[in-house]
Amino acid sequence: MNGPVDAAIDEVPPSSFQPESADGDEPPRQRFELEDTGFKEVPKRWRKFYRIWQGEGDSLGPNEVICPVCKVVIRSHREFRPGDRVYCMPCMSRMVVVRRPDGSLEAEVTY
Amino acid sequence: MADFLSQYSIQRWLEMCPQGYLEDTVNGHDPGLSEPEEILGNEEIREASIALTVQLIAGERAALAASSGLVNAAPDYASKTFLATQTLDEARHVEIFTQRLMDLGVKKEDVNSTVADYTNPNLVKFAEVLLEKVSNGDFIAGVVGQNIVLEGMAFTVFELLQTTSKELNPKFAQTLAGTIADERRHVGFGENRIGSLIAQHPERKAEIERMQGEMAYHMLATFSDIFTGGASTMTRERDRLAAQGQSIGDAGWHGTDLSTATPADMEAVLADTVLSEFKTRLGRIGLEYQTPKVPA
Repeated sequence: MNGPVDAAIDEVPPSSFQPESADGDEPPRQRFELEDTGFKEVPKRWRKFYRIWQGEGDSLGPNEVICPVCKVVIRSHREFRPGDRVYCMPCMSRMVVVRRPDGSLEAEVTY
Repeated sequence: MADFLSQYSIQRWLEMCPQGYLEDTVNGHDPGLSEPEEILGNEEIREASIALTVQLIAGERAALAASSGLVNAAPDYASKTFLATQTLDEARHVEIFTQRLMDLGVKKEDVNSTVADYTNPNLVKFAEVLLEKVSNGDFIAGVVGQNIVLEGMAFTVFELLQTTSKELNPKFAQTLAGTIADERRHVGFGENRIGSLIAQHPERKAEIERMQGEMAYHMLATFSDIFTGGASTMTRERDRLAAQGQSIGDAGWHGTDLSTATPADMEAVLADTVLSEFKTRLGRIGLEYQTPKVPA
């Protein structure tokens, strides 16, 4: 459903941006193939970039963050890193990925 | 900000909602689904379902009045456009929950009297606090009250109801899934639009925070009435399911197993979850959450 792939996949939802390291000192980002999980709340083209959080027992991959506004899981073809800009199409919120003190990544809404 | 507002369009709403998750549905669910016989054939459960559905209708009628009223108060056309789509969403919610009332056996001519008889008076007070702001043309307070407080509450209540319904009542669970999808947009608009406006109008904070505290108080009083009044029915229904070897299924929700939780446990986890969400959402947009008094 959500496994690493070698091929470069560059499609991203609007208002999303995952820059490569400017000085090239970070390893390349892992890449992931995304499958449609049945999420119908956005137009078909963008459905694979979102899924419903399943609650207890669910977990996030390195290419996933939860939208803090509407609780949908936002997905990318590439692993997330701090500073990435992400867009939650279901609730139309824009966010920046940040690293929490425990090392995990989360999305912070930008107004 | 102009770029942020440009995403609110009728075309976007059409693609996401009627052409998206509502495509091929009837009254918000797959055609052919009906209320389960376990509800229709058990008078106590049927009446409890009617009472619950009435609270949803009352909440959605308030949301319809608020969102339509806020169209004229909105300071820009993108916000007016979004609120116009939200008005249609809320009207749809009123319609599908009213349809559920009739599916539960309430005659069409008895809908309004049934709603009047069963609506919790504390829910009415909750709505009155919001609608006073809307009547005064107060856009910022109205959107906080409607899209953050009311919709934030609805979002969590619908999630809880969906969790308890998905196994035994797929029709109601599907109906709720569509409303939850709508609520995502509504809370998103509330946070995104007000987040920037509050920064421009910090003098409004204290008054809006008082409104939130008042609405939260009436919300807790509503929860208390509903869970206390329905406790014996909920307990009997859970025992009846257990005797038949049935349950509401995999129902973990915010750390509580709803299949075994007592009504008091359910009220506690619902109230805690909604208030925690209020606190987080308000904090994100620069408002200080007001802890409500605990209803007597």
